Amino acid sequence: MTLKEVYNSRSVEEVVGLLGEYGSEAKLISGGTDIVIELKNKKITPKILIDISKIEELKKIKEDENHIILGSGVTFTEITENPLFKGNLHGLHKACKMVGSPQIRNKGTIGGNIANGSSAADSIPPLIALGAIIKICSIEGTREIPLEDYYINKLKSNEIITEIKFEKLNKNQNLNFAKLGLRKALAISRLSIASLIELNEEGLIENVTISSGALGKYPMREKEVEEYLINKEINETTIEEAITVLQNSMDERLKGRSTLPYKRVAVSSILRENLKEFIKTRTEVRAW
Amino acid sequence: MVNISLIVNEKLFEVSVSENLRLIDLLRDELGLIGTKEGCGEGECGACTVIMDGETVNSCLVMAFQANGSNILTIEGMEKEGKIHPIQQAYIDVGAVQCGFCIPGMVLSTKALLDKKPHPSKDEIREGISGNLCRCTGYNKMIYAAEKAIEYMEEGK
Amino acid sequence: MDLNVVGKNIIRVDAYSKVTGKALYPQDIYLEDMVYGKVLRSTKPHGKIKVDITEAEKVKGILKIFTYKDVPKENKYGVVLKDHEVFVSEKVVRIGEPIAFIVGETQEICEEAYEKIIVDYEELNAVFDPIEAMKEDSPIVHGDSNIILHYKLRHGDIEEGKKKCKYIVENIYRSPMVEHAFLQPEAGLSYLEEDGTVVVAVATQYPHYDREEIAINLGLPEEKIKVINTNIGGAFGAREDISVQIHLALAAIVLRRPIKIIFSREESFLAHSKRHPMVMKYKTGADENGFLQYMEAEIIGDSGAHASWAINVLRKAGVHATGPYVIPNVNVDSYAVYTNNPFTGAMRGFGATQVSIAYEQQIDELAVKLGMDPIEIRMKNIFRKGSMTATGQILTDSVPLDKCIEAVDKEFQFSRKLEVESI
Repeated sequence: MTLKEVYNSRSVEEVVGLLGEYGSEAKLISGGTDIVIELKNKKITPKILIDISKIEELKKIKEDENHIILGSGVTFTEITENPLFKGNLHGLHKACKMVGSPQIRNKGTIGGNIANGSSAADSIPPLIALGAIIKICSIEGTREIPLEDYYINKLKSNEIITEIKFEKLNKNQNLNFAKLGLRKALAISRLSIASLIELNEEGLIENVTISSGALGKYPMREKEVEEYLINKEINETTIEEAITVLQNSMDERLKGRSTLPYKRVAVSSILRENLKEFIKTRTEVRAW
Repeated sequence: MVNISLIVNEKLFEVSVSENLRLIDLLRDELGLIGTKEGCGEGECGACTVIMDGETVNSCLVMAFQANGSNILTIEGMEKEGKIHPIQQAYIDVGAVQCGFCIPGMVLSTKALLDKKPHPSKDEIREGISGNLCRCTGYNKMIYAAEKAIEYMEEGK
Repeated sequence: MDLNVVGKNIIRVDAYSKVTGKALYPQDIYLEDMVYGKVLRSTKPHGKIKVDITEAEKVKGILKIFTYKDVPKENKYGVVLKDHEVFVSEKVVRIGEPIAFIVGETQEICEEAYEKIIVDYEELNAVFDPIEAMKEDSPIVHGDSNIILHYKLRHGDIEEGKKKCKYIVENIYRSPMVEHAFLQPEAGLSYLEEDGTVVVAVATQYPHYDREEIAINLGLPEEKIKVINTNIGGAFGAREDISVQIHLALAAIVLRRPIKIIFSREESFLAHSKRHPMVMKYKTGADENGFLQYMEAEIIGDSGAHASWAINVLRKAGVHATGPYVIPNVNVDSYAVYTNNPFTGAMRGFGATQVSIAYEQQIDELAVKLGMDPIEIRMKNIFRKGSMTATGQILTDSVPLDKCIEAVDKEFQFSRKLEVESI
């Protein structure tokens, strides 16, 4: 490791100032579950390390009438233990519960999962499906971008993600998540799918967003599947057809990749699991 | 060097540490708490698990300076007045100990679980120790040990 | 008979020290004035090397960088065949072979020098498939042939046996290389006692072999070497070969300072043996009543770049090739073969594990052809008291396999499940 100076920051303002001063020589550390390994292996060699894990304002889970706002320093454990993310937001709870291990979930944060930029980050597909907006601060000011666009428009070296915000769901909406890992604990996603589905009164899909993890360079919306599912009822036939639509767009995107034949087969189970879970949670939510 | 203060096993330490030091290095090399083990150095095996401010963490993934102001429990802090913790006794009694390298981390994960949830189901015990790898036992003995520990704690043993 | 231990719950002597974190593994021992070591390893699977340590030696705090030139006596070691080098002299045969041993005041200093050692490779064609390695035109790993062992087993008359079979099933099975991944990465400590005896504290499965090897390489009498076995953080066979022992003893003697080394997990993966991958070609036949009459097997084990226990492991695979079944007519040929892969050696089961995948699947396939319950076909053919194995051994004592299968069948209801699935 090559660190010359480290800071235990107590406010976003202080962090923004330090980042403004040091720029690309500095790195932020929160849960540390990825960055400490990168430091140790000299994959990154910053001179300055700024700890943001104890900044109170980043650790809050807030809600207003229409939104839920997660501080970027909220840990996966904090999400899984919060009743807000049960019920029809269950997909986010499930994704966070499947991250790493208890130790990793105790330290790893939602903001870190975004900033680290991995295609296999578990919490991202459900947040993209929710249409989450992230708030980014720097010495130049504040900007808000859809999480979906983050991967084409990444953080600058003087920026920090402070908030992740999404609209609350209505009773006809359900968020679901399914992941394929090699084992139950400590398994990086081979692929994952999140879906946010809203049914109309006839039981047809009124609105839908589907997003995937590890099916491309970064987590992304699966718009062809969404288009197919609009105005459909979810049943065996439409599930099979949706799988074919997804496989076709994967063929295009992952052309020539050695993992394509495997992921093509695997994706059928994961999308099926996701949509079946929707049917199941639907009935359970209604039963309440 | 950076000055930090932290509580380890109920004792206050004020130390000057290298910016590059990890928490596990601080515990082992500087404070001599060698019960914390390094098995992989990347958060996969859980051998370096300690309890930091009430929650388990992999001490190989925490920088030493981040522990400033924290309260840490290592395996050495489980003994009280010369008496080992009921979880440790249970590990001995059910035969959950083989090579022993995972045991400090396993015991601390079990403690953190039982602190939060005194009567976990078998599945919850499994999940509680899911961040700790053991290559000898196949894990069943650790689950029995947790169940036995709950009995011991209720008996006040 | 009064039993004091059998059937009783005995507390292990080391349990207390392990649950309290007091048990010492090599990495837990710290000595005054201690220095650290780090191994530089090959990054190519096959090639001639030239090593330049000049710049690395200049790093402040470096005490010495050892290469093959510094080994006082024999540069070779190995549990059965002496085909490992303490440090590579001319040719690397796999990724991960030790080339140099860096000793410095701290681990960071060793890291710094490590980056400054220059290794030039003249790459040679390498072989990674044991079947390819058996061919005449294959690159040769050591000596003049890659075949380390050909074990032959001949029992009965396979042509006669074939004639009695109603069904013969033929398949090729491949089992993968497996890493032991014991939880405690290799580590060790070495220092001199007042009378010059060199002490090596290490977690090992064979302290006596280690001592012998150190003595041969360093040219010392065995009584001047003491190997102390610390607590061992898992082994499963992978601590049967030398890892840190010789390097540590050499450095302690030359530098007269206590020295310690700890492998990272990645280095641990590179340094020690693996389970032999095997290619197993099987033909197994049964008569119309489900009695096994014939079996032919060819088993090829990939030993990687060193023999380690390959002779013993592939012999064992051959001996166990029939599984626990009476088969009157058997031919088995098993081979251990060098390749430029990571080397393989001892691992739980020692060659008997891999073949079970093949022989049990063969029995299941015969059961399907015969329309017979998989438990029933096993009960007809298993070893019992008085059975003769393919190696000609008569089993005279306890052979309670029938009881075991009955108990398992009752508990798991295997046969019933399979019937349901086949409908």
